Amino acid sequence: MLSLKTILTGTAVSVAMAGPTFADGHGGPYAPYAGTTLVINVPAHPHYNAMMKVLPEFTKETGIEVEVDQLQYLKMRERQTLELTKDEGDYDMIAYVVFSKADYIYADQLENLAKYFMNPALADPNYDQSDLISGYVENIGVAGGQKGYLPGQLGSAYGVPFGSETSVLAYRKDVFEKHGIPVPENYEQLLDAACKIPEVESGMGGMASRAASGHQASHAFLLHLAPLGGRVFDDNWEPIINNEAGVAAANALKTIVDCGPEGSQTFGPAEAAAAFSQGQAAMFMDSIAFAAGFEDPSKSKVAGKVGYALHPEGVRRGSQTGGFGIAIPKNAQNKEAAFLLMQWLTSKKGDLLVAMQGGNPSRFSTYENAELNAKYPYSATFGEALKYADPDWRPIIPTWGKINADIGTTMSQVLTEGLDPQEALNGVAERARAIMDEAGYYTWQ
Amino acid sequence: MQTANVNRLTPYLFLAPAAIVMAVALLYPIGYMIYASFLNWNPSQRIGEAEFVGLQNYVNLLGDAAFRESFFVTIKFAAVVVTLEMFLGVGLALLLDRNIRGMSVLRTLFILPMMIAPIVVGLMWRYMYHPSVGIFNRTLKSLGFEPIPWLSDGSWAFASVVIADVWQWTPFIFILSLAALQSLPQSAMEASRIDGATGWQQIIYIKLPLMMPVLVVTLLLRLIDAFKVLEVILVLTNGGPGLSTEILSLRISRTASEFRELGEAAAMSNYLLILLIILTFAMFAYNKAVEARTARLRKAAEEDL
Repeated sequence: MLSLKTILTGTAVSVAMAGPTFADGHGGPYAPYAGTTLVINVPAHPHYNAMMKVLPEFTKETGIEVEVDQLQYLKMRERQTLELTKDEGDYDMIAYVVFSKADYIYADQLENLAKYFMNPALADPNYDQSDLISGYVENIGVAGGQKGYLPGQLGSAYGVPFGSETSVLAYRKDVFEKHGIPVPENYEQLLDAACKIPEVESGMGGMASRAASGHQASHAFLLHLAPLGGRVFDDNWEPIINNEAGVAAANALKTIVDCGPEGSQTFGPAEAAAAFSQGQAAMFMDSIAFAAGFEDPSKSKVAGKVGYALHPEGVRRGSQTGGFGIAIPKNAQNKEAAFLLMQWLTSKKGDLLVAMQGGNPSRFSTYENAELNAKYPYSATFGEALKYADPDWRPIIPTWGKINADIGTTMSQVLTEGLDPQEALNGVAERARAIMDEAGYYTWQ
Repeated sequence: MQTANVNRLTPYLFLAPAAIVMAVALLYPIGYMIYASFLNWNPSQRIGEAEFVGLQNYVNLLGDAAFRESFFVTIKFAAVVVTLEMFLGVGLALLLDRNIRGMSVLRTLFILPMMIAPIVVGLMWRYMYHPSVGIFNRTLKSLGFEPIPWLSDGSWAFASVVIADVWQWTPFIFILSLAALQSLPQSAMEASRIDGATGWQQIIYIKLPLMMPVLVVTLLLRLIDAFKVLEVILVLTNGGPGLSTEILSLRISRTASEFRELGEAAAMSNYLLILLIILTFAMFAYNKAVEARTARLRKAAEEDL
């Protein structure tokens, strides 16, 4: 399952490590672990590609070697599910998709980080936790608070955000200027622009969006649900996905896909991003992680022509929170060394190094860094977008996988088979309630 | 007395190693799957931690509209592809059953699609079906036709996966039919030619009936395979749009990995297994009946003499 690139990079990493490391004879916190080889499992994702470029620096500094197993993120999740049930796991550190948080923590498979941060030999006093972006920490790292998956007084941290993302609107400055279309600030303008562009610019779709049956269509729908004022469940876990806001979100998605580039109905994130970077669409609203790719002239035909704006406002602002966190599995073999790697990667220094290679910062200070802003001018907008990142835009509960898939297939039917959105969402709500009931969410009612 | 006993036991002794291997390699996994289908089992749990729920999974599935739909999609898919493949495969075999120069090269070429890894087949077709850069739509556009939404419309997506499957598996039927054709008794052919049978008559009255036992087995093999096809569809459509191409094996894989319900996935596999067993028995029963009928006819003919 290792991609060739992973193997090559992995080898490059090991080769780079072999050299100067031990000659230093450095003492300090890393000395007891020098020569340890950590095996980590991360997604094939721009942020983690950036991390790969920074890892040799870590090895040089600490003498700890790192072997990387990189997989497509849904495959990665499957692999981890199997790995984590073993007595002795192969992975010392894993990057997990945010919705895996519920599954892994509920099954007691991740280390609680408290004992590591309490250990003076391991915890770096200059780590500065308060600088970590709070929305991400709440969304990705913390569990056990409100509703179980949100932060709260009794919650605690099991992971640290690394490669976390929010959504922004990427648009073609040249196209918008040429036709005098205002950059959308709210949903009305967004949908207008999405359908106006194919009329005025022949061969170009309005917005490239994910829409493929399953997880992708669900993701695209939820992206509009939060800003339009909706939620999947109310505070008592009753499904409210089929209320007015839900129908509005489904209609918004349908409009976007109908006015989108050719073949939109089956786009995954990669296809949608490719359509935008090949000039087939004038807008792309998805994770900030794609920006670095758009600005790379070797991969993108639109480099330098892209503007970035906040996720438009519906009845409220609410951009997605997603991406990845890193954690130490309970069955890891080298937990302390893994913690050191985790701490190093998410430290001020590590975060900036990864960000300079095109990764997504997890710290406020990194977003404010002048050097980074000079290299990636959009960083300021992204920093601003974070203020509106909504940690509750989708529920992170163990039953989510099934509900998510159901939303996704049903949305796909709305997009391709003309199923009525209200009827579709009523069906989703009914099935979601049955799933929640079976899982015991209504026990206390 | 003693020797007689030993003698009687000998065959079983010789059978024992095979029986043990079979029990371990075949019955254990099936037993495991049947046991798992009675559990409410989440992949983050070990099997021992899973809760026993009896027939709950089976009952839930019967009430699950998505499962029923994917069951019918599977049956529709298998029926359509196997029918098309049988016609094309047998037809090609009849056409190519002659001495042409370079026949062996041709035959190898024909069975190439079968040898390509299914994932690659899926990817290849996916690029060909691509809405804007795929060969099909580019050709259609250059000829002045409207492009076809190959994978983004429910009915077209179903047709697209059928086309890809037919492309890949027709050679299988072709090669088996060709082998059957070439092993037909020449005497029967010659006799019919002397009696003045035309080419068509030979095919309908001599070749096809004589090939029938092979064709039935081929059909069965293809049917079983068609019910389990996964990779090509996974890559092409991932079951979408909607549930239009979500065949059962894909749903089983999604139930296990996305929905995280291993018990329900096992129950689904068992439904599929039951369906396949029924089909297999039906096929063999049919074969038996046909054989019995020929035997009867032959006996009657012999008595007439």
